[in-house]
Amino acid sequence: MTDPLALDPVLPPRERSERSARRWNEDLPHDERFEHFEAHVLGGGKIEPNDWMPDEYRTAVLRFVEMHANSELMGVLPEREWIMRAPTLRRKLALTSKVQDEVGHAQLLYRVAEDLGKPREAMFDDLLAGKTKFHNVFHYPTRTWADIGVIAWLVDAAAIVAQQALRDSSYGPYARTMQKICWEESVHIMHGRDVVVTLANGTSAQREMLQEALNRWWGPLMQMHGPRSDRSKDRDLHWRIKAKTSEELRQEFLTIYVPRILELGLTLPDPDLRLDESAGEWRYADPDWDELRTVVTNHGPRSQERLEFRRVNREATAWVRAAILAEPRAAA
Amino acid sequence: MSDDIDQITRMLDEGAPVAPDEAPAGVLEPFEVFRQEKDGDPMRHGGNVLAPDAELAVHYAREMFGRRGESVRLWVVRRADIRVMEDLDLLQPPLDRSFKKPGGYVMRDKLAAARDRAGTTKPGARAASHDRTGRRGDER
Amino acid sequence: MTVTALDLRTQAALGDLVLTMADDEFVIGFSDSEWTGIAPILEEDVAMSSIAQDELGHARALYELLASHLDDGRDADAIAYDREPEEYRHARLLDHGRGDWATTIARRFLYDTADAARLASIGEGWPPLAELVAKIRREERYHVMHALAWADRLARAGGEARERFVAALEALAPDAPSVLAAPDDEAALLEAGILSRPMAEAFAGWRTEVAGILGPLGINLALEPTAGAARSRPAPSDEFRWLWGEFTSVRRSDPGATW
Repeated sequence: MTDPLALDPVLPPRERSERSARRWNEDLPHDERFEHFEAHVLGGGKIEPNDWMPDEYRTAVLRFVEMHANSELMGVLPEREWIMRAPTLRRKLALTSKVQDEVGHAQLLYRVAEDLGKPREAMFDDLLAGKTKFHNVFHYPTRTWADIGVIAWLVDAAAIVAQQALRDSSYGPYARTMQKICWEESVHIMHGRDVVVTLANGTSAQREMLQEALNRWWGPLMQMHGPRSDRSKDRDLHWRIKAKTSEELRQEFLTIYVPRILELGLTLPDPDLRLDESAGEWRYADPDWDELRTVVTNHGPRSQERLEFRRVNREATAWVRAAILAEPRAAA
Repeated sequence: MSDDIDQITRMLDEGAPVAPDEAPAGVLEPFEVFRQEKDGDPMRHGGNVLAPDAELAVHYAREMFGRRGESVRLWVVRRADIRVMEDLDLLQPPLDRSFKKPGGYVMRDKLAAARDRAGTTKPGARAASHDRTGRRGDER
Repeated sequence: MTVTALDLRTQAALGDLVLTMADDEFVIGFSDSEWTGIAPILEEDVAMSSIAQDELGHARALYELLASHLDDGRDADAIAYDREPEEYRHARLLDHGRGDWATTIARRFLYDTADAARLASIGEGWPPLAELVAKIRREERYHVMHALAWADRLARAGGEARERFVAALEALAPDAPSVLAAPDDEAALLEAGILSRPMAEAFAGWRTEVAGILGPLGINLALEPTAGAARSRPAPSDEFRWLWGEFTSVRRSDPGATW
C-alpha cells in the first residue's frame, strides 16, 4: 500500500508531524514521544490500544485492569452459593442475573487486558498462582441470606463509587467499559437494597440476621478502598488511569450510604463514626490495615478455598476448551 | 492453506454448511459488536467478544450486548476483517475546506447591506420589535 | 376464559399438566444455573446463565398461572417451594444432575427438543395457557439453537469431547422420554383441546427429529417410550432430596416471613 506521506516530498517531516493529533505515534526519539504522550494524557486525552505507550503506562493500566477483572471473577463465588438457596423465584432470578453480570464484567475487563497483550489463560494462571490479586471483600465467607443483601447493596455501592470515577480513565477501552459496567451495576444496588429493606421490615429474626451481617461486613467495607495514599506519589492518578484517591472514594461512600443505613434503624459497629460538619469529612476508627494486607495476599478466611475451587473447575473444564479449539474431524 | 481446503472438502462431504470466509478452526478471536438501540438508530460500537467462530460469536454478542433487551439489532464482525483508517492527513487535511460546511458561509453583513439598500427588514421579525432604523417592517 | 368454564375433571388434569411443566422448568433452571461463574469459557458462562434464567422465568410464569387456576391461597412461591420432596413432579430426566459440560449439553439437547415437541402439542383449549406457551416457545428457540451448536461441536471434535458427549447421551437416553410421558388423564385434556395431540405422537416426532440430528454425527441413540404413569417414582432420588434441603433452607428458617 502506498504511503500517502510519501507522495508529498515538498513538506519536511516536522511539518507533517505537527498536523497529527497523535504525535507520539510518529517515528520520534523516545523522550519526545514520551513528552507528547504525557501532554496528551495530562490534558485529558484518551489512549487507544494501537497507540504507542511508554512501558510504565502500559504496565500500570494492565495491572489495574487485571486486578479489576480478577475481582469480578472471584466476586462471583461468595454470591453464587446462594443462588440455590434464594427464598423466592424473583430473588433467585435477580441473584442469578446479578452473578451473571459479574461474569460479564469479568469478560469485558479481561478483554480490555487481552487487547493490551496478555492472554486470558496467562491471567488465570497468575491469579490462581497468587501472583495477581483480587479485592479484599471477596475473601470473606457469606453466612446468611442477609449477607447477600449487604453485599449486593453496600459492597456493590462501594465498588460503584470507585467505578464511576473510572469512567473518564485515560485508557479509552477501559473508560468505555466502565461506563457500561456502571450502568449495569445500578440494578444490582437496587436489588441489594430491596433485599435489605425487606429484611429490615420483616420478622425480628430477619432484622437480627441483617444487623449481624452488617456488623461483620463493616470492617471489610471500610478497608475496601485502601489506606490513604499520597496523591503526589500515586502513578495511577498521575496517568489519569484513575481520578480519585482512596480517601476521596471512602468519604463519598460514607456520605451517600451511612444515612441510608441508619434510616432503616440499623446501627454501625464503629462508635467513632461521625460526620465532622466543620471539616465536611467523616471521622472513623482506623480500619485494620493489617487485616487488609493479610487478606489481599490470599490469607483471608476463604481465599485459599475459593482459589482452589476455581482451580478444580478450570481443570475439570479444560477438555471443553481444548475441544473448541480443535480442528473439526469427520464423525466416527 | 491446504488445511483450509481439507476442512472445506470434509464439510462438503458431510453436508455441513460451508463458510469459506470463516477463519480456520483452532483460534479464539475477537469479534467486534455493533448494536442498534431502537429502529432507525445508527449502529453503534458496543464492545467485543472472544469466540472460536462466527456462529458462537453471534450467540455471545447476544448475551453481552442484548440479554437485557437493550438492542433491536446486532452486527458481529471479525476484528481481523475490519480495516482501520486513522491517518489525519487524509481525515483532517490542513488546507481550507470551509466551503464544504454550512458554518463556512457567514452572510450577516451582506444581508444587512442588502436590506439597507432595499429598505426591507429581516423576514419573520416579531411584530413588537423595531429594527435598528426605527422603521416597522413587513412580517414576511 | 375462566377456569370454571372447564369441568372439574378437566380442571384437575390441567392443574397436573401445568405443575409438571413448571416443575420441569424449575428443576432444570436451578440445576443449570449452577454453572454460573464456573462454565468453561467466560462468554459461555453468560450464555448458559441466560438459558437457566429463561427456564426459571418460565417456571415462575407457569406457577403463577397454576396459582390463579387453583386459587387455594398459595402464590407461585408457595407452590414452588413449600412442598415435600415427594410432591415434585419433574421428569426423571431431570433427576440427573448437571454433571460435566458434556452431560449438561446432552441433557439440554434432549430436554429442549422434547420440550419444544411438548409445547407444540398445547392447543387452544384453555387460552391463558396457550398464550403463555406461545411466548415461551419464542424464547425456547434460542435454547435449541444453542444446544445444537454445542452438540455439533462436541460430536465433531472427536477424542475426549465426543466420548464424553456420547456417553452422556447414552446415560440419559433411558430417562429422556419421560419429558413426553402422557400426563394424568390425557383423554380429558385432548377432549378439552388443551392438548392438540397425544403425547405419544409428540414422542414419535421427537424421536425422528433426534435421529435426524444425531445420525449425521454418527450417533445412534435408542429412545423408548416410557410406560404408564412415568412421572411417578418410588421415592425422590437422594440428590433431589439434598437439593430440596438446600433450596428450601432459607424459607424454612422463618416460615411465613417475607423475603
